[in-house]
Amino acid sequence: MASAYNLKIIACNGVFFDGDCESLIFPGTDGQIEIMNHHETMTGVIEIGEIKYKTPDQEWHRAVISDGLLTVYKDGSVKLIVYSCEKPENIDTFRAQEALERAQEQLRQKQSIQEYHISTANMARAMARLKGAGKSPNL
Amino acid sequence: MANAKEIQNRINSIQDTMKITRAMYMMSSMKLRKAKKKLEDTLPFFEGTQRAIAETMAHFPDMQHIFFDNRAKDQSETKKRKGYVIMTGDKGMAGAYNHNAIKEAMSLVGNPKDEDYTLFVVGEVGRAFFINQGYHVDENFRYSANNPSMHRARVITEYLVELYKREEIDEIYIVYTKMLNSIAEETNVERLLPFKPHSSMQAEFEKKLAGVEKSEDDAHHITTLNSYEAEAMESGDDWVPFYPSPKRVLERLVYNFVTGFTYGALVECTASEENARMMAMQSATDNAEAILRELSIEYNRVRQAAITQEITEVIGGAKALKKKKEKKKQQAR
Repeated sequence: MASAYNLKIIACNGVFFDGDCESLIFPGTDGQIEIMNHHETMTGVIEIGEIKYKTPDQEWHRAVISDGLLTVYKDGSVKLIVYSCEKPENIDTFRAQEALERAQEQLRQKQSIQEYHISTANMARAMARLKGAGKSPNL
Repeated sequence: MANAKEIQNRINSIQDTMKITRAMYMMSSMKLRKAKKKLEDTLPFFEGTQRAIAETMAHFPDMQHIFFDNRAKDQSETKKRKGYVIMTGDKGMAGAYNHNAIKEAMSLVGNPKDEDYTLFVVGEVGRAFFINQGYHVDENFRYSANNPSMHRARVITEYLVELYKREEIDEIYIVYTKMLNSIAEETNVERLLPFKPHSSMQAEFEKKLAGVEKSEDDAHHITTLNSYEAEAMESGDDWVPFYPSPKRVLERLVYNFVTGFTYGALVECTASEENARMMAMQSATDNAEAILRELSIEYNRVRQAAITQEITEVIGGAKALKKKKEKKKQQAR
């Protein structure tokens, strides 16, 4: 039985989660990383993908996030600041599929490097959403 | 005194104008409600981003990097090219909202003929003004201030950071309007890039502790620490590990911070703009009502005067006629 710490997930459309959590798994640049209580203070980046966190009632919650920043404080609390955070059941797969197709189409055209960055990021987000919603991306 | 017809015309025209201002008031109050909701949702994110960046920078190891603008070749530059992101509205009729932002930008730039700055203007009003006045405005930077979206913030960020990385600009400042409450608004200036390296934050923090008089107030942070940074420094500034590496974190942080800040500022601006417009239209409607009241009094007075005059004339005429008749009667006798 692990001890709990305070987890706060802030997305650009409000505070997504603020409460006790025993364990948090997030996608890092080189694989998934789990944070439990009494983690050392650190700052890290989160990639686009899916996070999982376990609340004290031993239930795992999933959420699809776009990239952001994670900070572990001295008192053990963890703060995530991400652009967007959605529950899998709230994802509009239709919209995500459309976004994916749009990004693919843009990538096929000749683009400036800026546009390329934006399109690839859009594509990654759309794919993470579809994956999180339990639907395989229809490429 | 004008005649009744003229006053009637004026009353009609003011009534028509009042209808427009009243309609605009209703529109902006509706938009404001939406914008305020969005602002409320975004506020934790906006503040969180600023706090996170301040805390991260307080714990960041000293290093030379383009995003700190402290590499040897950056330090040898005598002139820093500055980029100002200025957020104005797409439409006028919003009281002093646009003018305050423009005034702030003008005082930042100083002489429009200088070569060391570029303006990135969001919103039509500001763009039209600065192009007209001969400022150096980036013409490819065309973004509307309406309906802020994360996507637009990302595109803006990509554009600005790309220029920064190509070293076409060395410093990026942002001018935006913050809503303090439903009456007061404040134009803020913040530095987006470069970040403040740990050593300079420490120096500034010590200056602040020593009570050196501040040359800038709370809304302007070009060289001074903002409240988040001061708070972060107070809670300790030891170095902490960065995952996966400080450089990678820094690279991502730039995009995160600029996007988060731009989005937050866009949302703040739309709310402020609608609020300013709502108040402007409210006072326009009030003024129109006051004028109408005065005009209607004047109109009544003029009408009364005309009636009185007519009556006097009729009576005078009747009297003259009577006298004439009496004279005739006397002569007939």
